[in-house]
Amino acid sequence: MSGGIPYSEALKNYRIQQERELPDDDIDVNDLLSQYHPDHHPDTTVALQVGPNRGEQCHRQLAAVLQADARIDEADLAGTPLIETDVLVVGGGGAGCAAALEASNDGARVILATKLRLGDSNTVMAEGGIQASIDRGDTPQMHYDDSIKAGHFCAKKELVAEMVMDGPDVIRWLIKQGMQFDLDEFGDLLTRRAGGTSANRVCYYRDYTGLEMMRVLREAVMNSKIDIWDYSPTVELMVNESGHCAGAVLSDLRNCRYVQVKARAVILATGGIGRMHLNGFPTSNHFGATGDGLVLAYRLGAKLRDLDSFQYHPTGLAYPQHLAGTLITEGVRSSGTWLLNGHGERFIDELKPRDIVAAAILRECAEGRGVKVDDNTTGVWLDTPGLELRNPGILEKRFPKLLHLGSKASIDPAKSPMLIYPTLHYQNGGVDIDANGLTTVPGLYCAGEVSGGIHGKNRIMGNALLEIISFGRRAGIDAAALRHGRDHKKISIEHLSRIRRELAINNMPMDTRGPMLFPDCAKFDDDVDYDGLRKARNK
Amino acid sequence: MSENSNNQVNLVIEGKSITAPNNLSVIQALWHAGYPRVKSVGCLEGVCGSCRIMVRRPGEAKVTMELGCQTLIEEGIQVIFLVYPTPTHHHYQLSEIKNSWDVQGEFHHIFPEASHCRSCHGCTTACPKGIDVERGVALASEGKFREAGKLFVECIMCNLCMTGCPEEIAPNHVGLFARRVTAYFHTRPSNLINRLEEMRQGNLKVQI
Repeated sequence: MSGGIPYSEALKNYRIQQERELPDDDIDVNDLLSQYHPDHHPDTTVALQVGPNRGEQCHRQLAAVLQADARIDEADLAGTPLIETDVLVVGGGGAGCAAALEASNDGARVILATKLRLGDSNTVMAEGGIQASIDRGDTPQMHYDDSIKAGHFCAKKELVAEMVMDGPDVIRWLIKQGMQFDLDEFGDLLTRRAGGTSANRVCYYRDYTGLEMMRVLREAVMNSKIDIWDYSPTVELMVNESGHCAGAVLSDLRNCRYVQVKARAVILATGGIGRMHLNGFPTSNHFGATGDGLVLAYRLGAKLRDLDSFQYHPTGLAYPQHLAGTLITEGVRSSGTWLLNGHGERFIDELKPRDIVAAAILRECAEGRGVKVDDNTTGVWLDTPGLELRNPGILEKRFPKLLHLGSKASIDPAKSPMLIYPTLHYQNGGVDIDANGLTTVPGLYCAGEVSGGIHGKNRIMGNALLEIISFGRRAGIDAAALRHGRDHKKISIEHLSRIRRELAINNMPMDTRGPMLFPDCAKFDDDVDYDGLRKARNK
Repeated sequence: MSENSNNQVNLVIEGKSITAPNNLSVIQALWHAGYPRVKSVGCLEGVCGSCRIMVRRPGEAKVTMELGCQTLIEEGIQVIFLVYPTPTHHHYQLSEIKNSWDVQGEFHHIFPEASHCRSCHGCTTACPKGIDVERGVALASEGKFREAGKLFVECIMCNLCMTGCPEEIAPNHVGLFARRVTAYFHTRPSNLINRLEEMRQGNLKVQI
């Protein structure tokens, strides 16, 4: 990335203006994506060699963890405590909480195990809002059509149909949990428009929608009968005599030991993969977003889908470096903020779907029209001063989190544009599920970002928060009903011997172990505090 | 504009002496110096409340409560992490409050300590988000839940105000209670209700 207009020069070129023309926009979308979207970089994907998706294309870095060795052996389980429950929920974000609340409400005994603390998740960081077709000019059908189209017609249609029909009731459910939304003077829900959609459909609370949702759900879970296990990452799922999912092995970081949980159903709600930094991109994701659920489910034999498709959010902060990757909500663009290149010109309709806008930004930077800070940092302007000029006061009223980010970056977004660059944001695919969140393995459910099929090859803003509640609730209700079934005779990690055989036959490297659990920077595997969790590894 | 590697500062985190560039946060500095850190790390954006730290600056007796992902390192500061937040002893279910006339009574039943506030400012001083926590508790005690809740818009539930309260009021949970009852009893959007009714009548279907 040698080309580009130097930062100080570009800043001098920049003027706050009332109006700016959008240049003629006759781009071929497919050309733009295939040339500039990171999913299409050469050598980005490889064919999987083992497991249920053998032969299918998968991102190179994800393939490495899907085909890695397990963290534990039978020997690790000797003498470990065995706890029994009806439903084990893995993950403490919005999907996990919704699933746990519904399962518990139906009378099931529920353990919610989370890698860090309850609420540590991407949910709490979500800003823009949640989609639900409630406006008079809008219908669930339009919501469905927009989602299918933005996902390049690759989504699993019946899942999208179920989700959009759930939308309004999801909002009611959230209000009943005590969640606030931004309302107009009549008390009606305010809505804003997401990129690539045909109606105002995103309900929101400032740019703190996820924070408001998460603190309310966390409080609801903490005041329920749900048994909360924090600092307890799941390292392996367990099977019964028929190969059904029958529980999990957790590592208890407080006491530095493994614990086996026997459950009639397991719901994985582990979120996404941002902290794997695919293609070297910065990420907007939480510290814990390391793709654990995909690895656990795949080893148990669950089918995955769309493993070559990831979302790069157009507006991650590019500068200053210590904040690189931090998200600026799409709400800012949907309110009418423009993107400008180093010449101060618009170059794309800012409200196109995210993959297209991100690719257009990458094109500007690649062709020398970006703003260049140094050899590692380029970007384009997010014209927030222009937005403020046309709508005085809007930043303070609607985007307090953005102003807070500005103060950390020593940039006043009302006066100076912010430098942005696409940031790794979301895993479009994931574990294949049905309308109840059930995977191809009996007893194993997935909800939220870890699941796949709802967003096809690109997600629209606001469908993630809708999905986690819609499918979290569905999975919780369906999983709770399994407690009336037959008890498991025997539970084990026998499936690992099959995996290890397959890996050996295919000459796969056995030196990496999954799931990843924590980003490399945290050095979990070198931390002497957790040596007790490594006894089988002869370290 | 590139990163100036000469701007190194020296500081102490968890008793470990560390040298790192001054544009790093406390957590980034710890990783930069090669120390492992898993607990107390969360969103890294200042909204999850995981990375609670106590900070003492050189020459100052005062210890401040901050967030490890938000505080940029400075020469000579000392930092320790507060790993496990104490759960509150207050428990309630919104569904057990029969109607909005009962909210005030229920509030004092659930949070009996709230009216004991001695105005010591401990909670407000501890808040890393600059919320006027003490005033929020006072408003909630008077039954002004909507107004109290508004003060807690930016609350990340880090529980530091609980640490700072000698009366064990759990002010952040008071604030969240105030916000939740406001939504639970008073958010009734007509556009949402109309749409739910249309759907109940089966008028809106999706064709695949």
